[in-house]
Amino acid sequence: MTLPAPDYCISLFFLFLQVQLFSRNDPFPFTMIELIDIHKYFGDVKALTGVSLQVNPGSIHGIVGENGAGKTTLMKVLTGYIHRTSGSILLNNEEITLHTPMDAIQLGIGMLYQEPLDFLQLSVLDNFMAGNERFSPETMSRILEKLSKRFGFEMQPDTPLHLLTVGERQQLELMRLIHVGTRVLILDEPTTGISDEQQELLFSALRSLRDEGCAIILVSHKLDEVDALCDQVSIMRKGTIVGHQQQPFNRNAILQAMFDTLPQKETAPARHQGNKEILKFTHVCSSNGRSGLDRISVTITQGEVIGLAGLDGSGQTVFLRIAGKLLEPESGTLQRFAAEDNESDSTDSQTVFLPADRLNEGLIPGMSIREHLLLADETPLVIFPETGRQKAKQAIDKFSIIGTPDTAADGLSGGNQQRLLLALIPTQARLILMENPTRGLDVQSGNWTWQHLLDQMPDNGAMIFASPDLEEILDHASRVLVFFDGKILLDSATSDTDFDEISQAITGRIKACS
Amino acid sequence: MLMKTIQQHDLTHLVIRFFCITGLGFGAVCLLLFTLHLSPITIAKSMGSGALSNWIRISHMLSIWTPLLLCSSGLLFTFRAGLWNIGIEGQMIIGAICTTAVLRLPQAENSHALFPALAMAAGLCGGGIWGMCAGILKNRGGVNEIFGGLGLNFVAQGIILWLIFGPWKRAGIASMSGTNLLPHALWLTSPAGWRVAPVALVLSCLAFLLTALLLGNTRFGLRLTAVGKNSKASRLFGIKPELIGLTAMMLGGGLAGLAGGLQVTGVYHRLIPAISSGYGYLGLLIVMLAGYRAAAIPCIALFFACLAAGSIQLPIMLQIDSSLSGVIQGACVLSALLVHGFQTKRRNT
Amino acid sequence: MKSTTRRVATFLGMMLIALLACQPTFAADKPFTFGLLMVGPANDKGWSQAHFDAAREIEKNVPGTQMIYIDKVNPADRPGITVPTLVDDLVAKGAKLIIGNSDDMKDGMQEAALMHPDIYFVHISGDGALKGEASKNLSNLMGRMEYGKMMAGFVAALTTKTGKIGDLGPLINAETRRLSSSTYLGARYAWTHILKKPLKDLHYKVSWIGFWFNIPGVTSDPTLVMRNFIDSGYDVIVSGIDTTEALIVAGQKRKEGATVWAVPYDYKGACNEAPEACLGVPYFNWYPGYKDIITSAMNGKFSQQFLWLGPDWKDINNAETSAIGFQNGAALSAEHARALADFQQGLADGSIHLFTGPLNFQDGSVFLKTGESATDTQIWNLPQLLEGMEGASK
Repeated sequence: MTLPAPDYCISLFFLFLQVQLFSRNDPFPFTMIELIDIHKYFGDVKALTGVSLQVNPGSIHGIVGENGAGKTTLMKVLTGYIHRTSGSILLNNEEITLHTPMDAIQLGIGMLYQEPLDFLQLSVLDNFMAGNERFSPETMSRILEKLSKRFGFEMQPDTPLHLLTVGERQQLELMRLIHVGTRVLILDEPTTGISDEQQELLFSALRSLRDEGCAIILVSHKLDEVDALCDQVSIMRKGTIVGHQQQPFNRNAILQAMFDTLPQKETAPARHQGNKEILKFTHVCSSNGRSGLDRISVTITQGEVIGLAGLDGSGQTVFLRIAGKLLEPESGTLQRFAAEDNESDSTDSQTVFLPADRLNEGLIPGMSIREHLLLADETPLVIFPETGRQKAKQAIDKFSIIGTPDTAADGLSGGNQQRLLLALIPTQARLILMENPTRGLDVQSGNWTWQHLLDQMPDNGAMIFASPDLEEILDHASRVLVFFDGKILLDSATSDTDFDEISQAITGRIKACS
Repeated sequence: MLMKTIQQHDLTHLVIRFFCITGLGFGAVCLLLFTLHLSPITIAKSMGSGALSNWIRISHMLSIWTPLLLCSSGLLFTFRAGLWNIGIEGQMIIGAICTTAVLRLPQAENSHALFPALAMAAGLCGGGIWGMCAGILKNRGGVNEIFGGLGLNFVAQGIILWLIFGPWKRAGIASMSGTNLLPHALWLTSPAGWRVAPVALVLSCLAFLLTALLLGNTRFGLRLTAVGKNSKASRLFGIKPELIGLTAMMLGGGLAGLAGGLQVTGVYHRLIPAISSGYGYLGLLIVMLAGYRAAAIPCIALFFACLAAGSIQLPIMLQIDSSLSGVIQGACVLSALLVHGFQTKRRNT
Repeated sequence: MKSTTRRVATFLGMMLIALLACQPTFAADKPFTFGLLMVGPANDKGWSQAHFDAAREIEKNVPGTQMIYIDKVNPADRPGITVPTLVDDLVAKGAKLIIGNSDDMKDGMQEAALMHPDIYFVHISGDGALKGEASKNLSNLMGRMEYGKMMAGFVAALTTKTGKIGDLGPLINAETRRLSSSTYLGARYAWTHILKKPLKDLHYKVSWIGFWFNIPGVTSDPTLVMRNFIDSGYDVIVSGIDTTEALIVAGQKRKEGATVWAVPYDYKGACNEAPEACLGVPYFNWYPGYKDIITSAMNGKFSQQFLWLGPDWKDINNAETSAIGFQNGAALSAEHARALADFQQGLADGSIHLFTGPLNFQDGSVFLKTGESATDTQIWNLPQLLEGMEGASK
């Protein structure tokens, strides 16, 4: 009986390292996590389709991809927040089951969320102790001190948490995760909202953890930080891994994989370009959303189709809502439509806003197609069961909605919900505002939607839509505004820009030019 | 076809819910009674006969049904608008106070026909205004209608106690037991052998029908439903959720106030501290059990009225404390909530 | 939707039929059934229990009688239910005579008596029969508790160390003014005649809670009122409410080391709640009154009466004959018990008559001139508290 030599050697080597580096009671100083063919379906929506990924101990693994590519879903599967439809997860070559987040924590898989999940009313020490079974403030205080020193964080145990910056809360959460034995550390956009100095501290902490053998997964939009920190990177698009690179990375290849390779677009749809103003923002500021709006000034004229690009929460949503009068600007002025036809009562019905979250913000669950159409139109005072049925039938035909006048909005599929929303756009609408108009739609529905929208758009109106899909913007918009951190970083006719420029701007890489 | 229309979906849903609730409720009650060595059949018999065995009893039961129906109708408006009108008790109390105030006017005794009607109207308005207060607190002050309503309930309770113990007390007497009886001429009369004033019965049935009609067949009802189901989206349809909510609170409060007024003129013939008799809270329950729909409300209100009216038989016939009916009520409600919660949970996963 | 409504309607219809089908039938041998409506719980160790126990005794001792009862007859405990509806129920169960035990039921009893002319009604503590407001089938019954209350005041004044006597009063009406004034007169007699102390050193204060018993959120909380009394130096509290909070709080305070006493009310066994703090209890014995009225009703000789029954001075604690009594408490010293016996003797033989002038009302106006004795009517309808008493009169 002889053992196969290489395996034997490796085992010995590991044992050696284990003794060398971790005289603590860690059974698995080196943890390797492997995802094999993970699928996750939400009803008909395929969020993940066959993701396989291996994260090695002692390495930082970047995961990049545009919004909706499935990064967050994948991480939630890994931390036990949602259950995978199929596929397996191996931890040190053993298959694990993750029923609850607690399972993941016990297996040493921890996640640092974009917004730290902590208790603002409690002190630093209380938060550090939270979830611990034993209550021993003195011991924990010493441990906290030791960990702080190790990572170079400065933290007083008594400070109430609400006095800390997001970065400091993140540091605390990181220490807590390490203390509870996290060996697979997942970070979701960790540098959002923290200072450069804190970012440096964080990065050095992550590097030191990597050197101790932790497996670290970094989910990020920001290619710079991925460049700076990661040993390898996986690129996700549409629910699967489409590329993989080792350091040094090829930036362009990553971008290509993220956003898909595009045939250089033909031309933006030709529209009648009037110079009548439809919408004018002057130094508009808002603190809503993650980044707010920072002194936005922009003018939109008749016939324009504006695509808003940017990372989630960079200001596009707030911009649309202010334009739709769903939010008030905190400073600055907003003018809708040219002064001459600005009769106050008609402007409201001339503006329509289609939110991305159709069922939560645009439609009324439990109400039927007929009732939606009744509400959108001029509702008669008295309503009989037959009122509006004919109109509903017509709309169902015209918009190819699969359903009857009595079908509830929440009983419709995503595509049909979008068709219903389109059917609700009043014919007199001159300013159509949309968030992610083709979200969750398959290619066919998406195309149908656009065709309909462009057909319906009146010559004396304008359309503004936000989309995470650059392809969509380049295909349908005549002008693109790229938002970054509440500012418009790029404002250009789509014919004057290209995919690379926009995707660079999305990650904040060019100077404002307007 | 996977898709279900609202009707189909809700029908099966409602039927399942109805049977689950009754099954669970009765099961729990029977279990409880068995542990107390009581026969559920005897209890059901004596309570049933106590509520329904002759016209006097039926009419007495209807005198409880009337305010329940009114309160439930009022609550339909607020529930439809997605509001929890906990303040309904206070609205009832204020309605009762306003009615009493009108009937206490010195002129009241001489114009018998006019004043009871006027008093009812005053109750309606008083309750409506009280409801509106909760609505305004919500819209302007950002006070959740539950807390606002609770607060206003305390205020109303304070006012009624102060009136009964203070300005409106009986001569030479300071008792919490109530004001002087109203002059006979100002009572809502009931024919001999009736325990319920026909006027009250007619008014509440009318109010209920009107509510059902308003909610089901008008623009206002449609908008109300839209606000209740998704106030965020309703804005996109040009609806002002605040205004609609306020109107709903006002209507709900008005009907509760009317119920309070009818308690004064039709049942107690005076103002007493417990004038609301907890009917407002019971109304909340009824509407919830009815699945926020008008159709089932009269029946469920009837059930609760029977429980309340029949419970008095327990101490008479069986020397059992009549709070048992409260236990039965509680068991029904808990089962209802359980079934509802279970269904919701199953639908979400 | 329509079919659900129909289904529900059918279901309810069937339920209704089933319920109608099972009406109870009554036994053939007909005992004389009397109904008792009690304002409080039947086991309140106070007013209602005194009635309940007496009615039970009647059932036991008067052959052929049977009691049915409903307790907690008040709008707070039984919302939506009025006295006439309850009377309907009792009559339906075969009651021939109905006793309503609360002053608060006056309107309802009179209304019910009009509606059921062939049923006899007894309204406890009211005066509808006296004033001619009530129909002929309604009598009133009350005990002359004035004497019991005088004894209560008497022992209170003998016992107090601080000279401050508290009176935990229910609501304000002629009855309660009468009883509190009697307590005060008893206390005043003991203070000035037995202890020979100046009247100005005796403090007597009534605090009204607003009803006969605690209704949370509606009345003042008697427990808090009691604590207030004790905290402001009142060391003997005489209770006038239907329940035993005064004695219970006094017992608790004694456990905390305070030297305080209480005199409960209504029910013979009330002292058992805290014997160490109990000076004694003036109580009602409804048995003689009930027996009188019920037996005459059974024999078809009921006539409208206003019964205001006094103690049997031969033995005020005779359960057969004395309508009111005073049970000495464990906390009453032997010396004071002797003084009380002398006092009772004086009341019995008429040598002590406390409603005798000069007596002024609380507002200073003259109630009785020197030497003048109050008539029953004057005492029954006492319009104000007496001079020297602190607390609201109206």
